[in-house]
Amino acid sequence: MTELATRWLGLDLRSPLVVGASPLTDDLDALKACVDAGAGAVVMHSLFEEQLVAEQMAAHRFIDSRINMDAEARSFFPESEAFEMGSGSYLKRLELLQRELDVPVIASLNGISPGGWTQHARELEDAGASAIELNLYDLATDPADTAATLEERQLEVVSSVVAQVTIPVSVKLSPFYSALPAFVAGVEAAGARGLVLFNRFYQPDIDLDELELSREVVLSTNAELPLRLHAMAMLFNRTTLEMAASGGVHSGDDAAKAILSGATAVQVVSALLAEGSSALARITDEMNQRLSTMGYNSLAEARGALSLDNAPNAQTWERLNYARLLHGWQSAGRKT
Amino acid sequence: MAFKTLDGNEAVASVAYRLSETIAIYPITPASVMGEHADDWAALSRPNLWGQVPGVVEMQSEAGAAGAMHGALQAGSLVTTFTASQGLLLMLPNLYKIAGELSPFCMHVAARSIATHALSIFCDHSDVMSARGTGFALLASGSVQEAQDLAAIGHAVTLESRIPVMHFFDGFRTSHEISKIAALSDEDLQALVPHEGVEAHRNRRMTPDRPVVRGTSQNPDAFFQAREAINPFYQAFPDKLEAVMDRFAGITGRQYRLFDYVGHPEAERVVILMGSGAECAHETVEWLMAQGEKVGVLKVRLFRPFATDRFLQALPDTVKHLAVLDRTKEPGAQGEPLLLEVSGALMEAWSRGDRQTLPRVSGGRYGLSSREFTPAMVCAVFDQLKEASPKTRFTVGVRDDVTNLSLEVDSELDIESPKTRRALFFGMGADGTVSSNKASIKILGEGTDLFAQGHFVYDSKKSGATTVSHLRFGPLPIRSSYQIRQAQFVAVHAPQFLERFDVLEHAAPGATVLLNVPWSQDQVWDRLSVEVQRVLVERKARLYVIDAAEVAEKAGLERRINTVMQVCFFALADILPRDEAIAHIKESIRQTWGRRGPEVVRRNVEAVDSALANLHEVPVPEKVTATRTRPPRVPEDAPDFVQKVTRLLMDGQGDKLPVSAFPPDGTWPTGTSQYEKRSIALEIPIWESDLCVQCNFCAMICPHTAIISKVFEPEAAENAPETFEAVPESFTPELEGLDYRVQVAPEDCTGCGLCVEVCPAKDRTQPKRKAINMRPLEEHREAEAQNLAFLRSLPDVPRDRIPRDFKSLPLLIPLFEYSGACAGCGETPYIRLLTQLVGDRLLIANATGCSSIYGGNLPTTPYTVNADGRGPTWNNSLFEDAAELGLGMRMGLDKLVGRARQLLEDRKDSLPPELYRDLTIPCATLDETAMAARREAVSRLRDWLADQQGPGIQELASLADELCPKSVWVIGGDGWAYDIGYGGLDHALASGQNLKLLVLDTEVYSNTGGQQSKATPMGAVAKFASAGKETRKKDLGLLAMSYGHVYVAQIAMQSHSNQTTKALQEAESFDGPALIIAHSPCIAHGYDLVHSPAQQKRAVDSWAWPLYRFDPRRIHEGLPPLQLDSVRQKVPMKAYMQEEARFRMLELRDPERYEHLVAAASEAAMEQRELYKQLAGIHFEPHEHPESDHKEDDHHD
Repeated sequence: MTELATRWLGLDLRSPLVVGASPLTDDLDALKACVDAGAGAVVMHSLFEEQLVAEQMAAHRFIDSRINMDAEARSFFPESEAFEMGSGSYLKRLELLQRELDVPVIASLNGISPGGWTQHARELEDAGASAIELNLYDLATDPADTAATLEERQLEVVSSVVAQVTIPVSVKLSPFYSALPAFVAGVEAAGARGLVLFNRFYQPDIDLDELELSREVVLSTNAELPLRLHAMAMLFNRTTLEMAASGGVHSGDDAAKAILSGATAVQVVSALLAEGSSALARITDEMNQRLSTMGYNSLAEARGALSLDNAPNAQTWERLNYARLLHGWQSAGRKT
Repeated sequence: MAFKTLDGNEAVASVAYRLSETIAIYPITPASVMGEHADDWAALSRPNLWGQVPGVVEMQSEAGAAGAMHGALQAGSLVTTFTASQGLLLMLPNLYKIAGELSPFCMHVAARSIATHALSIFCDHSDVMSARGTGFALLASGSVQEAQDLAAIGHAVTLESRIPVMHFFDGFRTSHEISKIAALSDEDLQALVPHEGVEAHRNRRMTPDRPVVRGTSQNPDAFFQAREAINPFYQAFPDKLEAVMDRFAGITGRQYRLFDYVGHPEAERVVILMGSGAECAHETVEWLMAQGEKVGVLKVRLFRPFATDRFLQALPDTVKHLAVLDRTKEPGAQGEPLLLEVSGALMEAWSRGDRQTLPRVSGGRYGLSSREFTPAMVCAVFDQLKEASPKTRFTVGVRDDVTNLSLEVDSELDIESPKTRRALFFGMGADGTVSSNKASIKILGEGTDLFAQGHFVYDSKKSGATTVSHLRFGPLPIRSSYQIRQAQFVAVHAPQFLERFDVLEHAAPGATVLLNVPWSQDQVWDRLSVEVQRVLVERKARLYVIDAAEVAEKAGLERRINTVMQVCFFALADILPRDEAIAHIKESIRQTWGRRGPEVVRRNVEAVDSALANLHEVPVPEKVTATRTRPPRVPEDAPDFVQKVTRLLMDGQGDKLPVSAFPPDGTWPTGTSQYEKRSIALEIPIWESDLCVQCNFCAMICPHTAIISKVFEPEAAENAPETFEAVPESFTPELEGLDYRVQVAPEDCTGCGLCVEVCPAKDRTQPKRKAINMRPLEEHREAEAQNLAFLRSLPDVPRDRIPRDFKSLPLLIPLFEYSGACAGCGETPYIRLLTQLVGDRLLIANATGCSSIYGGNLPTTPYTVNADGRGPTWNNSLFEDAAELGLGMRMGLDKLVGRARQLLEDRKDSLPPELYRDLTIPCATLDETAMAARREAVSRLRDWLADQQGPGIQELASLADELCPKSVWVIGGDGWAYDIGYGGLDHALASGQNLKLLVLDTEVYSNTGGQQSKATPMGAVAKFASAGKETRKKDLGLLAMSYGHVYVAQIAMQSHSNQTTKALQEAESFDGPALIIAHSPCIAHGYDLVHSPAQQKRAVDSWAWPLYRFDPRRIHEGLPPLQLDSVRQKVPMKAYMQEEARFRMLELRDPERYEHLVAAASEAAMEQRELYKQLAGIHFEPHEHPESDHKEDDHHD
């Protein structure tokens, strides 16, 4: 059997398989089952900057703005001293998970502006988070916004979050950077400890009947995995940041591939949502069997074995091969 | 000593809460706030003086609260309640019991007018005076400080004396005035309250361990003596009260007496009064004494039991002329109550030989329904007393040109100390002006040594409301219990006020005027009207401007400008050093909104920081340069009454109208809202005829009838204004050949956006462009106003041409328009639709609540008439009795119909036979052809009668209209239907009368600010259910169905208008009682109501609000009477609940309880669904109508 214990973000994990940020955060029983099934850590869903702000401002608009405007109705809700619209409920959840789960609980922040909201990072630390996963998600729609200014802003966010806390910070990225290694170097310089590759977008779809946009969550498939494998293989040994794969891991083989590409941890979400907590035990067993069969005694031995630096046919990761493959695919298409 | 700035309600509630164990409440303006505080504090587990959290219970009515109070007292508990007006009236029977049983009990009344010719939420003493026979001691206070202090004294003295105490203070003037007071600590209260009195009260409790019987029935041999046995307690009361007042003075240094005299020790002229008016009199007396006048004021603290000896002692012997002022009216009485007590006391003194001479006594009425009572009026009273023969009865504060009772008042007189700074603020309801002014008072009251006072005036509109804040600050105590007449600072927080009101009327010479306008500094002067410029020039005012909306917008606060304006106020008013003031403002932002989260604070602080850079002074030239005058308030073609009366009411000048201008019996014309053009929307819907599919959804959903669709003969529109577009009606075969137009009422629209939200038509190349889109008002106002006027002038097509399906119904002329309801209101579309169906044959009995305020609050009302002058006739009686009122209308009406038919029958032989036939064949209210024919026949009958002579001819002519059938509808909210009026509603349904009841169910008491009712759903946070309601919503429909003879439907018009129109028509056509329960989205649900169609659909799809119709007629056809219009649960309960703040608040506060209640609500919906499914599948053997050929396979979804 391969020794599954690993260290990620300075945390001792008994398994590289981590429950990724997802609605499971709200389901304590399911999380407990995942931990029982061998999960090494749990990442909470994001404390979402826009959502926090939107909710506070909506409350301000629909509750506070309706106070003192009518002779008969002083307001329309009870005095609200007893609850808050800030991060309070998230922090309470974090404290609960920290108490109830005997694996590290990693809190997650999602935001794009370097403003005051990064102070939530400290609240997360104070509430007992073992680490923070910072989810950078930015959408450039303004033609005046260059990649450079955007990346600079993102790195500023990373620094300001890192500056708030003493616990490790990992950064979750989108796959769409022109020069990923350079940006990762910036993330490293900003003080982050790890990388999570990659974010999955809940991209809106088009409803043809209503001629409008629709928003539905689509679970990942392992077709999304190679993008992650490629990135990790490329970054392995080119950054000191520890990497976690996120997106497309549905089987033990998927997890093994992630580790061979350079992952220290492997996040699982869609499989758990589709199959339930038992998926975690299945993936763990499958991964363990696969890596044992391949003769790896520890994860460290396997990690990065097929990275750009170590792979026997490393150029396959590179552009030359990509072009060839594309040609082959096109001609194959013409033949049929 | 701790100083606090708070309002009278909070000051009183704080004392009452700490001194009580059981609190039974029911919302009523202006006392609701006291109950809300008590409920909040209990929810936060704040203890009373004995370390217990009081039990707070909201009852179904004040009558219910009084019963609960009585019971709690009998159980030995310390009890309180808060009420006013009609609420106090409902408590009266129990108050007699409580006093008769000598139960120590102190209640607090924010005194308010009793509804007579009209309802009024404002202040006078008619409610308290109606309780003067109960045996309660009546204790009056006149300021926030006194209200707090006398509340404590009341709770203490009742325990010492066993006489229950009704402590009262003036509604709004004191209950809502914010004032800096010395607050009573727990230690103060501990020292004041007689603990042996508490023990004695407890020892009198009912207990089977020492059983007694109370509430016996007594016969003539016993009742009288037993009643007299109580006398010693009343005789002892004045001494006991005096002792408590002295003890209070020992604790706090504030000495009260039963009668407090202020004035010259040898005064010759004295006024006697109680309440806040006495403070104004106090201020005036001091001013007059400084002028050398021998005058005084006697403030009555204890009205009942009337302490004659104390009264005589307090009154200087030198008094020659007395004026007794009552803030109530008792038509037909020899005098008002205080006058009678005073006269009686003086007469008794003379009879006993204590006085050899009597002063001359005059009695006056003042201040009814919060009419201003000013120093000028007090002076007018004193002047009157100088007359050789003063009026023995007078009024002050009105101009009575009918019975000539009123005194002349010098309206220019201003006696306020120049040391007191006075500031006036005109705000929009939603811009937060009042909130920030309250914060400013707190800053100045608690952060400085200054005295501070704030009084707030609201209009009666729920959308685009105007607020006026009156703030006073200064080194001297403030007794001015009246609105500011000379302000050194005037802030106008919205530019449209400059066009609508004389906002500078009360600007003092040299005043600072601050305007929030979207104009640049150099444009401002030229934009002002002649009237505004003239005041600025003549009074040498300093003018400052800011575009606060832009500052707020940039800070991410949308158009909430209050913090920006607050900074400007402090910067200009120069009361505190600027930096200090700004630091205080920021701190108050943190305190007020900190719990909302850091972003709210951050944005407001940002707005504060950028405010001053945008504040600019505009030099006021030497003379007026404008040529433009303020636009006329009402169009020149408005009816005479609107010109002469309504216009002044709209201008805020109604108090200048004389008595003769008013109808003496509360009868007013309808159709006046069309003359009140408020232009409160920033954006209005503009129609794109090329995309329109003529579905009329926009007109169907509009809460304000501000968008209508109309069909008309094309040739009628030949002289249309240039921008008046129309397209051929092309979606309804019955309307072929007509033209069609969708029209906005630009100056009546509130900009809620619902019409655009429901518009299904999209431009395929740019789907965000719909057939109606929100566009800036200013660009379209003029043209659309012209178009609207033109469209309204076009003749309506005959009613029977318009199909009665949900898509075509909005084409019928609405007879309910432009109400003052909230933007996005979910109630008003139901009423509008009802008036479209049967408005010209409709009598409405309306329960008090939102629908009676937007339906019948002056200055203008929304029910209107069609081209024939017919339309709904409307009456609001009370909150609790709408069903009974409607039932009475139905019965009374039916008698007149019967009489008309009888008279017709008497003339059957002489009438032309076809006329007789036309007047007697069946005619249903929904049969437009028959209705038109019947009206035509009635007109022929009139013609025929004109040539006849003899007994009954005239009578038949005057009753002939009753030969056309009428419809009686009762309208009210859930507070009425589920709670206070349930007994009457149930009885009306049971009566079998042909009466329709429409329940506009917002699931809370909306009008008084969102208190829970029995319609509140499980899991919702509401006032009096701060922790989330634990029990299920009452299934009112099921209860009504149990009768078997009642038509019942539950509807949801914003999302399911088809089912709504079916239900309304079925109810109308049903010959018997009908109950319609209408889902009404409300701002109290806590979401943007533009989403109400989608959210209501979730309510229906989750079975939080199932749709159904129960039609007893189907039983006779062998069909199940219940038809479910929503069969399946299509979305989880949570999908509905998570979208509204009332549920979300619970989730934030207590996620586990939220989950638990979501699950319980889900379970409840499932059980209801299973029950309803079985009811809808019930099988009846056909009876009575065995020939019916209906099959049982009717399926409805």
